[in-house]
Order: sequence, then structure tokens, then C-alpha cells
Amino acid sequence: MRAPRPVLAVATVAVVFLTLPVIGLAQRTPWSSLGDLLGRQSVLQPLVLSLTVSVAAALVIVVLGTPLAWTLARVDIPGRRIIRALVLLPMVLPPVVGGTALLFALGRRGLVGQWLDRWFGLTLPFTTAGAVVAAVFVALPFYVIAVEGALESGSDELEQMAGTLGAGPLQVLRRITLPRLLPAMGAGVALAWARALGEFGATITFAGNLPGRTQTLPLATFLALESDPEEAIALSLVMLTVSLAVLIPMRDRWLPGRRPGR
Amino acid sequence: MTGQVTDALRLAGTARVGDLVLEVDLTVDPGETVALLGPNGAGKTSLLRVLTGLLPLSGGRLDLAGDLVDQPGSGTFVEPHRRSVGWVPQDRLLFPHLTVRQNIGFSPRATAERVTALLDALGIAGLADRRPSACSGGQAQRVALARAVAAEPAVLLLDEPSTALDIDSQHLIDGLLADGGARATVLVTHDPVEAATVADRLVILEDGRVTHSGSPTDVRTRPRTRYAASLAGLNTLPAVADGYTAMTVGGALVVLGEPATGPVHLVVPPSAVALHRTIPDGSPRNVWRATVAELQPALDRIRVVLDGPLPLVAEVTPGAVEVLELEPGSRVWAAVKATEITVHPA
Repeated sequence: MRAPRPVLAVATVAVVFLTLPVIGLAQRTPWSSLGDLLGRQSVLQPLVLSLTVSVAAALVIVVLGTPLAWTLARVDIPGRRIIRALVLLPMVLPPVVGGTALLFALGRRGLVGQWLDRWFGLTLPFTTAGAVVAAVFVALPFYVIAVEGALESGSDELEQMAGTLGAGPLQVLRRITLPRLLPAMGAGVALAWARALGEFGATITFAGNLPGRTQTLPLATFLALESDPEEAIALSLVMLTVSLAVLIPMRDRWLPGRRPGR
Repeated sequence: MTGQVTDALRLAGTARVGDLVLEVDLTVDPGETVALLGPNGAGKTSLLRVLTGLLPLSGGRLDLAGDLVDQPGSGTFVEPHRRSVGWVPQDRLLFPHLTVRQNIGFSPRATAERVTALLDALGIAGLADRRPSACSGGQAQRVALARAVAAEPAVLLLDEPSTALDIDSQHLIDGLLADGGARATVLVTHDPVEAATVADRLVILEDGRVTHSGSPTDVRTRPRTRYAASLAGLNTLPAVADGYTAMTVGGALVVLGEPATGPVHLVVPPSAVALHRTIPDGSPRNVWRATVAELQPALDRIRVVLDGPLPLVAEVTPGAVEVLELEPGSRVWAAVKATEITVHPA
């Protein structure tokens, strides 16, 4: 299809706008001392922590989010639209607000947190587990949206076919629904993981900024910008590289219902 | 339990699909093959879905192999996965993420030996480790059929199984159907030749109701509705062929235009049956003595139902009826050219 010129012109401006910051980053990068910067403990420690937290969050998200997405898509529960709105709320909520809310719910004096502390001696704020909780809170909706979108409402024909062959509901789920849902789950988990990796506001509010425990890459970058801008650039490059490494293999699979490679 | 022979399937119930109301009485014996015929939108596929349990009844009851499985009045409903029904839907619905062998063995009731035996019997052992997307239409149909019978269901439901099927697949599938033992089969088709050759009984479904149920000969010679009359278009005669001749079940010798051996079905269009008052001479070598049993108007033609060694239906013009002075009981000669007869393997 031939695009009208004004549309093409505006689209070009948008692409430039999106790529300019990356170019700016590359232009300011001290390439000669980069190797030295990347080897620093103050870069490696947040990197390892960020990977740990984001991967742990992704695992929790798959375990929690898959049944949630299935239920939202398939089960005729009363008030489903309200439940869906609540589930998606963290997507639009400012992360700082999310972190504050988590503190009042799961903090040591929080609604549930005081019981966790009293009964299990479990304290989430200012721990790595707390950073995982913050990441799950903000990233879970991204996964749920991707997976729910791929599940048709009501059982589809292949699932009905499996039923007539003697497979019960759990077997149908395990042998037909989930295997066919894998691409959407992959896309959803990549989205959610990327969101968890970049999480800043909820983490610093709920989990704090303790090096080696809750100081993830975005937090370390923000702090380094004050004290050592070159290290901030190195940290940013690390995140950019990790994000691209996930984004590029995904190609067009972000979008539900669209075949890759088009 | 009343001590009677248990029906494989006994349905007397109603169901709704959109605007269509299905109201069906249907009983199928163990081992019986019933062909379900009807115009598009008559509810044939919906009826199969009622039997699988994918479409619950809104009234009445359904028994499968002697067990009550659906009776809204008493709140009884057995889920599809607990019914002994094998279903081959029109679009087959093979599982794209599983291999052919995994598809056939999908049912928890299918044993590995049974799967292997079916792969061999249907000539698809070479495809066992391929995905359905690598199968041709005929091969996919064989896989779907094997998958449906692997669990040894009491009732097999086939929805248009011969659509776009190659001859080899057709023969293999016919063989499997003929070898069903106690399994009852309900076959949806709109091919009257297939219906007459495969089925013990034809059931005509129109607008959600059964309008006729009877043997292929009964439906052919005494169609009760316009639709049945259009189906009855073709004479289908079981016979045993030996070269260029065949002996029909009724004991008539028929000269064929093409050689064949063994059990066959001879298909004769009614328009190819010529009627004469005196024995004709000339090219037609198939000439039989017959008695007119019945005259039926069919649009601008008259269908003449004949009794005799060959129960044929002829289609002639009203003018011919006058000239030949045809009426029930008239004695005539029926002639068919050998080249007008097509031979289908039984």
C-alpha cells in the first residue's frame, strides 16, 4: 500500500524521536574505558540482582498469571469486568503509588504484613523478596493481558474435540489448551519480564535502595547519575543490551493475533 | 433394564440451535449403520453434537449403550468426555501440535497396540511421526477416523466423511466401517450413492425433524417428501459382478459397460431407464420384464416405480405415460444401456 506523504513524514519524526535518546547515549559512552566500567562491582552487583529479581518475578508471574488469564477469559464469574479492571490497575497506576500501597498492605505494620511478620517472621520491605513482590505487582498485568487475549472466550473446537475423545477438563487444559497457548505465554512473559527489569518506582518505595539486596539496575543508574555519570551510562548500556536481546528474537510476537515475520 | 436387546443409541428429544428446533426420534441398533441425509441447515450436524454432548438437549432424553446420558427433566447430563462416542467432524479438527500417532492415541481409552493396528489398517503408518499439516486431505480424514475409533466407542459419528476424499482413502474407510462389530454408526452425508451403499438404513432429516426412516430401497421407491424424491434420483442396486456381467440380489443378470469383480453397487439414473410395451430390439442389451407399482409426479416428469426382478425407478415424460398407457399393474419392458450403468465397489 502506498502511504500518503504527510503520514510517512509524521511516522519518520516519531521513529527519530524514539531512537534519538539511544543515539545520545551511545554518543556519550566512554568506549575506551567501558571494559573497566563494566567490570566494576558497582555495575556487576546491580546487574546480577536485577537479573535475579526479574527472572524470579517472571516465574511468579507465569504461575499466578496463567490461571488468572484463563479464568478471566473462560469462567463466567459475576463482576468479571470489575475484576479485570482491578487486575489491570497496576499498568496505569504510577509505580510510586503502587509501592506505597504495597507498603501499607505488606509492610511490617501493613494490613497483611503484620501477620506475615508475627506468624512467619516474614518481612518483605527492604529485602530482595520485596523487590520481587514490587516487580510482580507492576508486571503481572502485562502477562495477563497477552495470555487472556490469546484465549478465545468459551472452549474452542479443538478443546471440544478433545473432550469427546474422553479427556476431562484438566487433561484438555494440559494437553490442548496450554501447548497451544505457549507462543502467547512466551510473548507475555517477555513483556512482563522487561517491565520487571525496568521497574523503579514501586521498588524504591517498597523495597528501598540497599546495594546487593534491593538496588537493581534502574536504581543504581539513577544514583550513579549524581555521583558518576560515566557509570550511569555503562549501567544504561547494560540494560539496553539486555532489553534488545529479548526484543529482537520476539520480532512481531508482541502483538496478539499477529503472525511473526510479517 | 427390561431384558431387551440394548439399543446403541436411543434419542427422543428436542434441542435448539439459533432458530432451528431439533425434534428427533432416532434409535440405532448395535452394529447398524444409519445414514443421515437432509438439506443444508436441516440440523444434521447439530444432531451429531447432541449425541456427543456438545449440544445439550432442552427436552426429552438420550440413552447411549443403555445408559441415560441426557435428560433435562431429571437434571441428568453426562459430560462429553464420559460418553462412549467417537466423533469425526466435517473439518476433522486434528490437533496441530501433536503427531499423527499422538492424535490417534489421544483418547485415554486408546491403547498403544490399538493405535499401531489402526495406523497399519488405514495405511498411514508412514505418517506416524508427522504433524497433521503434512497430511493430504484423504490422509487427514483417515487420521481423524482412526482417532475416533481408537477408543472403541459404542457409537461412531461421521460428518460428511467422503467430502473431497480420494478413492484409496474411500476404500480404506469403507473397509473400516464395514468391520465395526457391535459399534453403531451414524453417518451424515448428502451423497445418496454413499448413503445407499454404506448404510443399512436411511434417515431423512428436514427442518429439524425426521421425515423418513427406512431402508435405501424403501426411501428410493417410496419417498415421502420432495427432498427424499430428489435423493431417490438414482437407482442403487446391490449385485455381484464377474467381468462384464453382474447378478443382482434380486436375481437379474445385468450387462455392464465396464468390467468389475466381486460385490458392487450398480447405479442407474432413472432417466436412463426406458420403458416399452413390447420387447425392444436394437442396442440395449439389458431388458427386463417389470410391473408398474406406482406412478409419482416429480416436477415435469413422472417417476414410475417398477416391481420385478429389478426394483427400478424410471423417469419418463407425462406424454410417454399416456402413449404407453401406464398405470399401476401395467406390464412393461424396462431397458437400460450398459454404458448408462456405473459400478461402485461395495
